[in-house]
Amino acid sequence: MKRSIMNKFLTGLFCMLVTLPVIAQEDELKDLPGYVDFGDLSATYGEPKITINLGGTMLNFVGMMSSAESPETSDLISKLKGIRVQIYNTDDNVDAAKSQYSKVKGNLKGSGWEPVVQVNDEDEQVLVYMKMKEGNMEGMTVMVVDEDEAVFVNIIGQLNPAELGRVMETFDVNVDLD
Amino acid sequence: MNKYDEKWEEQINALLDGELSADGAELLKAEATDDRELARAIIEAYQLQQVMDTVKVERAPDSLRKRLRAIPAGQQPKPAFSFFQPRWAMALASIPLAIIAISLMQPETPTESEIAQARQEMAIAFAYLDKAGAITGREIESTVGQTMANAVTGSVNKAIQSQNLNSKEKKV
Repeated sequence: MKRSIMNKFLTGLFCMLVTLPVIAQEDELKDLPGYVDFGDLSATYGEPKITINLGGTMLNFVGMMSSAESPETSDLISKLKGIRVQIYNTDDNVDAAKSQYSKVKGNLKGSGWEPVVQVNDEDEQVLVYMKMKEGNMEGMTVMVVDEDEAVFVNIIGQLNPAELGRVMETFDVNVDLD
Repeated sequence: MNKYDEKWEEQINALLDGELSADGAELLKAEATDDRELARAIIEAYQLQQVMDTVKVERAPDSLRKRLRAIPAGQQPKPAFSFFQPRWAMALASIPLAIIAISLMQPETPTESEIAQARQEMAIAFAYLDKAGAITGREIESTVGQTMANAVTGSVNKAIQSQNLNSKEKKV
């Protein structure tokens, strides 16, 4: 019995150690005004296909590394404070994702976010919201729900979409989204 | 023995145990020659020691020995302090783990591979933003036509750009 308690204690400590860095990154972003809580859909869809939590510290390093090859990219990154992405496979079961989409949308409306673009198709729902304060962008939220996946993106800080396209060319990565 | 004080008692015990010095033993013997009570006390103590030496250690009955062995370890008296007790083992184990946890939470310079990984993750995030932009652009185009779509997406971009310009001007 005592050994069992000790095993549980040590297992708990180990799990805490593994999750601490992720929690620390998430906590770093939670206090920022452009942060959006997307909730958790893992009970319905399992663990997210993609989870990204990039805090200001890591983005600073990425910006510094990019400065030599592309000052424009470095400049864009320097205005960012955090990037968060959660992507779930919906596998034609979009009810939970749509419900969460509506819930987050309601929260955004009630906390100073403004809609930029919204698509309400039967097969596809897309929403882009921005938060501005005194002429400065504090964050951007993009949600996409379709029969394949539910995408939640939260950019914290300033981002110019016009610059985004040019900057994408400097990233030597192949991202297949289809 | 009533008159005989503690000093003589200690001396007698030391004599019987062989711990009394030769001078002490001579002094005690001289005293005992004149003091009959002291002499009797020495003789009685000597006789008592002889009797005690003849007493053998009795072996406990087998039934009692079996019962004693049957007592579970949990009911035996516990040592007051031991580093091998579970609570101490847990406390000791938690110290290095806590140090590792604290060090993990400290901001430190990421490795080159971690920065490359972060860059890749950032590209994925931007690609999804691009995808959302493409969907909305396509939707607007199919609803109101290419010209209007460009006008709408262009105005959104301009709006955001103007915000950036404003913020730059404020900084200047």
